[in-house]
Amino acid sequence: MTDSTRDQLQDGSYEFLAIFLEGLPFIFLGTLVSGFLGTYLPRNAFEKVLPKNPTLSIMASGLLGAVFPVCECAVVPVIRRLVKNGFPVSCALAYMLAAPIFNPVTAISTFKAFNDSYFVVGARLGMGYLIAVLVGIAILRVAHGRFLKPSAQAESGHEHDHPRNLNSAMNNSLRDFMDVGLYFTIGVILTSLLKTTWIDPTTDFWKGLTDNSILATPAMMGLAFFLSLCSTSDAFIAANIGNFSYAPKLAFMVFGPMMDAKLLFLYSTVFRWKFIIILLAALFVLTGGLSILAETVYENYWESAQP
Amino acid sequence: MMSALHTRLFGLLALCWGSALIYFYHSQRIQEYLARDFHTLVLAGGIGIIILGLYSLINPQEKKSCCDHEHKHDHHDHPHDHNHHHNDEGHSHDHDHGEEEHPGDCDHEHEGHGPVATYLLTLVPLILAMTHTQDKLSNRGMAKKGLYEAPALNGLNAPAAFTREDLKKRVPKNEEGEFQLQLFAAYWAAGDREVQSIYEGLPVELEGRVAPEKIGNEADDRMRIFRKIMSCCAADAQFVGVSMEFPDDAKRPAVDEWVKASGILTFETSDNKILPLLKVRIVIPTEEPYSEFLLRQ
Repeated sequence: MTDSTRDQLQDGSYEFLAIFLEGLPFIFLGTLVSGFLGTYLPRNAFEKVLPKNPTLSIMASGLLGAVFPVCECAVVPVIRRLVKNGFPVSCALAYMLAAPIFNPVTAISTFKAFNDSYFVVGARLGMGYLIAVLVGIAILRVAHGRFLKPSAQAESGHEHDHPRNLNSAMNNSLRDFMDVGLYFTIGVILTSLLKTTWIDPTTDFWKGLTDNSILATPAMMGLAFFLSLCSTSDAFIAANIGNFSYAPKLAFMVFGPMMDAKLLFLYSTVFRWKFIIILLAALFVLTGGLSILAETVYENYWESAQP
Repeated sequence: MMSALHTRLFGLLALCWGSALIYFYHSQRIQEYLARDFHTLVLAGGIGIIILGLYSLINPQEKKSCCDHEHKHDHHDHPHDHNHHHNDEGHSHDHDHGEEEHPGDCDHEHEGHGPVATYLLTLVPLILAMTHTQDKLSNRGMAKKGLYEAPALNGLNAPAAFTREDLKKRVPKNEEGEFQLQLFAAYWAAGDREVQSIYEGLPVELEGRVAPEKIGNEADDRMRIFRKIMSCCAADAQFVGVSMEFPDDAKRPAVDEWVKASGILTFETSDNKILPLLKVRIVIPTEEPYSEFLLRQ
């Protein structure tokens, strides 16, 4: 075995364990919540709480992260179970995409990472929320069967006599934990492999992009996809990753929590692969376009975020 | 349908995962992977997963098929008007399972992967990683995370503006009168010309781990002192380093050794980048701290 291969094996193992150890407790927490929700939450309970207007429902769901802050790993099993219990899919999608960004923990870490800049925090949270709501609205009229996996579709139209007891809740949790844990592990393996073999933000390629927002923005979104960072810490990486302008950094912080290599596999526990690929493309275009637009329009505000 | 055997096997797998978390916590290897704030979470998560696994081993509920009719709901997202667009007259519930149809199995809960696949795809990588990790990155891995990079000149959480008087008030000195400066403060000063002017020529003591130097080391008189900075886990870790230039007669530390390096802090320009440089007076070994990770805040 060459030194290079040995280094890659060592680094890959280290990266794998770091993400696995950090993510597994959150996956467990999410699946525990999902198991109990699936057992005890009455089906269609949300209809009484959400606004009657579907668009308003989606907008309200996008804000739920401020009240129920969850990271991108934990939110997937929760929304999977919520959808099965009748939570509108468009609302669930808006919550799933917005919650990792639109929450107080992410806001504080972004604020600290970017030199106490309220503008960067506002831009990140605002753009994350906007994109999540737009995606939710976009799927409002699409038949669920076209993007939801059969196993994730709501049990509507008939009442099942599911037992509501601890046994059922724990078994639901275990099943969810195994399903989501499996895809989570596959995602972490892929991320670790890519990070140790292919991704290197210190190469001349990355440094050569610093003066070109149009090229740097998609490149940084690609980097966010492969790095698969937690939304609560990625702002520190974005702030220090190089002398990029703010469009690439904003795109990095908005796109990453919504779509990365690990999430790709987690999403596959809820959505069909074809839809995930379309979602990836849509998020890529929306985030990139809005980031470049934001930098152009608010150039003076960005400057104030510099130390 | 998940049989009692499958439930028990999955329960056993949950026990393995939970045990792995507890092991990393108890052996303190966790400190090499996660920020301190997350250690308790790993312990709590490990205990919770073990409880879930044990419960499933003891009470394996066999999930029975819950209905014996077919039902279709190709419904849209119209949550409040209940317009589910049932395709069939009379609401016949012809469930659209698409290409993943499981005739006769009305258990919507999971398309599920069997225990064998789940064991193979989760436990094998975990065991391989645990046996191949050195609980740290290689020099190559650290280089990819910034060990030999200059600080970014924008967007950085740089030290707040301060004067040399502030420095004297806030930063303690060692017995030799050298400022015991945080290594990352010396590093980030290279990204801020005002702070550089305060630190330039300052007698300082820096604490960190030692790596070989790859920049400006043609005379082979340099090594690098560095620390890790992280917010959550080692995946988001960044490495910040300061070059150490040794006088001819100085004793060199070993690579990976923890040291306190004293000398004069200065800054040099290389390839249009400003880099911090410590002109070493003396380097003494020191104990590794509980966690190498430095939190930025």
